[in-house]
Amino acid sequence: MLRVAIIGCGKIADSHASQIGRIKGCEIVGVYDREPLMAQQLAKRFPIKKAFSSLTQLLDEARPDVVHITTPPQGHFDLAKTCLEYRCHIYVEKPFTVWADEAEKLIAIANERQLKLTVGHDDQFSHVSRRMRSIVRNGFLGGSPVHMESYYCYEISKAGYSGALLGDKKHWVRRLPGKLLQNIISHGIARIAEFLAGDSPEVITYGFTSPLLRSMGETEIIDELRVIIHDVDGTTAYFTFSSQMRPGLHGFRMYGSKNGLMLDQDQETLIKLRGARYKSYAEKFVPPIVLAGQYLGNASLNLKTFLGNDFHMKSGLKFLIESFYRSIIEGTPEPIPYREILLTSRIMEAIFKSLSESVAEPTKDYVREHAATVV
Amino acid sequence: MEHENIIDKNDLVLVTGANGFIGSRVVEGLLELGFQRVRCFARSSKGGNRLEALAKVGGVGSRLEIVSGNLLSPQDCASAATDARVIFHLAAGRGEKSFPDAFMNSVVTTRNLLEAAANNGCLKRFVNISSFSVYSNQHKSHGKLLDESCPVEQSPALRGEAYCFAKVEQEQIVLEYATRRGIPYAIVRPGQVYGPGNEGITGRVGIGTFGIFLHLGGSNTIPLTYVDNCANAIILAGIKHGADGQIFNVVDDDLPSSRKFLRLYKRHVRSFPSLYVPHVMSYALCYLWEKYSEWSHDQLPPVFNRRRWHTYWKSTRYSNEKLKKRVGWMPKVRTEDGLKLFFESCRVRRASA
Repeated sequence: MLRVAIIGCGKIADSHASQIGRIKGCEIVGVYDREPLMAQQLAKRFPIKKAFSSLTQLLDEARPDVVHITTPPQGHFDLAKTCLEYRCHIYVEKPFTVWADEAEKLIAIANERQLKLTVGHDDQFSHVSRRMRSIVRNGFLGGSPVHMESYYCYEISKAGYSGALLGDKKHWVRRLPGKLLQNIISHGIARIAEFLAGDSPEVITYGFTSPLLRSMGETEIIDELRVIIHDVDGTTAYFTFSSQMRPGLHGFRMYGSKNGLMLDQDQETLIKLRGARYKSYAEKFVPPIVLAGQYLGNASLNLKTFLGNDFHMKSGLKFLIESFYRSIIEGTPEPIPYREILLTSRIMEAIFKSLSESVAEPTKDYVREHAATVV
Repeated sequence: MEHENIIDKNDLVLVTGANGFIGSRVVEGLLELGFQRVRCFARSSKGGNRLEALAKVGGVGSRLEIVSGNLLSPQDCASAATDARVIFHLAAGRGEKSFPDAFMNSVVTTRNLLEAAANNGCLKRFVNISSFSVYSNQHKSHGKLLDESCPVEQSPALRGEAYCFAKVEQEQIVLEYATRRGIPYAIVRPGQVYGPGNEGITGRVGIGTFGIFLHLGGSNTIPLTYVDNCANAIILAGIKHGADGQIFNVVDDDLPSSRKFLRLYKRHVRSFPSLYVPHVMSYALCYLWEKYSEWSHDQLPPVFNRRRWHTYWKSTRYSNEKLKKRVGWMPKVRTEDGLKLFFESCRVRRASA
């Protein structure tokens, strides 16, 4: 029986506790939060052995094999390092660390101690993402991707998390170097990083505060971001984060030299884009019919998965956790390669550095204030 | 009437959530009663227009102290509670779907405020604003009548409703501080508070989640309380003798049935199609949803279940006798007039949307 602990008992910890509960061969032996009441409320609602009021007490007494770190990102590095020192495998929620060098250090410690770690990029393990990965591996694109487009949007409203963030100038998200972006975009960046061959792509960043937020008096939060990524082998990618565009997409498109793929995370649909064209007017009629058939196939597959009771909102999280546990128990490769974790961290750091540099030297043109190029 | 109050009009009173739907009315009510030192605690200085406008009224500004802060900060709580003789605690995590968020913004904040009040040492009463949602509405001793003696939900997490869970736990922590630190308290449980500023149709009438409005209330009485009446009840629970350690339900007189409310809403605000779901059917649907949710390990979250049905859609009668007898509350705004004001506000809101 794998002994699991959770550190940080906020919103995302609920998803972890719930999905761990669906996995056989493991049990949650303890939870800890800096605020004891938060640990207690989690332990009350899930089958959890004990809520601890100190980190060392949790690690000493509960002796977990794996620790899930679900705190705000500022705490990830220190907590992860402590857990590794206690010889625990670690699952760290996204973003993995605040800085890229912290990610490097954690991976080095884990390697040195022969422990495993992973990061909460669970969107990449949803049913539709796994289907896409399998098709790419089978050579559907016709080689490395020529170009990719990743969308990760976040609808800002006055309620809930974003309302709390906008209304609180001391909110922990504001203290992150990349602020709101740093807490959200790693899902979308990681999708690109997975298919990049090089380790230090060129990153061109362009970000600004949306007119809506500016009208609310917001000056710190950048909620519109466009990024161009250019890899050494010529692969390029666009990343878009927006709080304003509708629909607020969570999607990924890949184009190879032969064919393309179009994934919609919200609808869990995957569409194959045929590279070759039909002759003459056939191009106007056949592809729409083929696409309609593909969408119907996706709907049918989603329904089948739902009826098979495997279509939970966080099914990707369950799959990732399960794969991670299997890699610990059976010694198989980690579900997310460390190279991908590092590359995601580096790209994000490049984005935030360029945004902070451009904000430090504003020009008269507001939009240009936030534009910058990083090589 | 002055001798009935537990505090003097020059004593400092603190209102948390002072910028909110009910909180702002509590502040207005306290000023109307002649209180000279009202400290208003709001999460953000922005959006405090209602309070700022109030402060500009002649002679009011000097009696009103507006403090912005976060109740998650013990320091902010300590500053807010300093010298407060009565605390009206209205700030809460409303509208939160996540259990941890609702808990944090209702229970952790309340604990911080109680701790600050206990350390302050001059508190005469802590008025905790709860909700009807804490009642299980099962196993009542007087048949259909729901009053303050009725049992509270014992397993609030199973209701599938973050707000209920947080409110039950919030009451628990108030009781804990009353026992452990001797905090004098009163708990106010309003029914469905309505009025200008809260224009939605309560879920007790029905829900529009599935495309068409499902009318679930039928002939049930809807436990409405007009916002000004509710604010007055809260004030009286805070300042009158005889309220210590007591729980008060707040509902108005002459309550409409769900069917009547919906008919009036459609006539005065907007017309829309609705489908009546008889009680036996809504109960059966809640039962099936609950069982499917259990079986599928929450593939569908347990948002509809039998506990929720008992609370919101079971035929129930309500009493406000205790509030009337103990602290002399009377609803100043009649339900008929309150509904007119509410529908007018709904029309204005729709026109400006």
